[in-house]
Amino acid sequence: MPQPPPRQPQDPQIDEQDILRAMREIPGYLDITPEDFRQVYARAYAHALERVRRGLPAERVMTREAAAVAVDTPLTEVARIMAQRRVSGVPVLQGGRVVGLISEKDFLDAMGAQGGRHFMEVVAQCLGQGPCLAAPLRAATAGELMSAPAVVAGPETSTSEIAEIMGQKGINRVPVVDSQGRLLGIVSRADLLRAGGPA
Amino acid sequence: MSYWAKMRGASQSPPGVGLAEILWSWLGAFLGIAAVAYVNQRWLAGTDLLLIIGSFGASAVLIYGAVKSPLAQPRNLLGGHLISAAIGVACYQWLGQVPWLAAALAVATAIAAMHASKTLHPPGGASALIAVIGGPQIHALGFFYVLVPVGLGAAIMLAVALLVNNLAPHRRYPEFWL
Repeated sequence: MPQPPPRQPQDPQIDEQDILRAMREIPGYLDITPEDFRQVYARAYAHALERVRRGLPAERVMTREAAAVAVDTPLTEVARIMAQRRVSGVPVLQGGRVVGLISEKDFLDAMGAQGGRHFMEVVAQCLGQGPCLAAPLRAATAGELMSAPAVVAGPETSTSEIAEIMGQKGINRVPVVDSQGRLLGIVSRADLLRAGGPA
Repeated sequence: MSYWAKMRGASQSPPGVGLAEILWSWLGAFLGIAAVAYVNQRWLAGTDLLLIIGSFGASAVLIYGAVKSPLAQPRNLLGGHLISAAIGVACYQWLGQVPWLAAALAVATAIAAMHASKTLHPPGGASALIAVIGGPQIHALGFFYVLVPVGLGAAIMLAVALLVNNLAPHRRYPEFWL
């Protein structure tokens, strides 16, 4: 007789009465004892948890044809692209490779003259009589503002790993690159949520 | 779990079935055995052949009474009977002079072969045993016993199972073929 699987906190809390009730709901003779079923169920549940914990490979959940900019793209153009594509961050490419990432947060940091990192702080300053905080950025390029080096993932990196990276680094999107560093797509927190994995 | 503690049992009996299920089981078994017994009586009486053997009563329990069971599926019904019958005949022809040994070897080997071929069907054990202890009429058939009565009888029972079980609203048969 196989050993029952070790009890874990996340074990499904079903008892024999639940199983008997379920078996009664299914017409016809079921050729299995409630205890056999409980063991099958507990093991299947553990396998399902393991599968979900492992997650999907990045290439299955990433957004393809992700917006991207070049290191020499002017920031005005970067801002326009981000607005147009409705994304809060884009990878920065140099020679086809991902070298950094620009996000709304990078813009805010650069504009937060008073050390403010909150969007409303920038709004408050602009509504006041202060100078336009965005003005100094007009002449700058993506390469000057980007966060580098970029935190990237491979196409096989699992969603659970990506979720962990996002949590650790406090970032919201991870570009997916091939072995040459070329952009394949991007995984955002929204992509993780859609995949139903841990986010 | 200790040796003695295992004998206490660890679970409980699965729930019983409703009246409809009982009636469908009755009807299937009646028609299945009737088909085999009628052919036997109508066309084979007075010949050296026969179509009905005891193991079909056991098959009827499974294919009309426990239609969802893996043991009751066509692969198991046909495979289990055919493999076991062949083993039974071989054991009789090889060791017929030592009936107790031939009988034991036939059933034990039939179970092993059914396991190995994923065709476990308990009545197969009876088909193997009947090949040894079935008397002169069975022994005279030789390996033809595998085809008639065993193969043909099981095929007729299978046809009835397909026709009758699927009439029942809550039944479907089979769960799988191969």
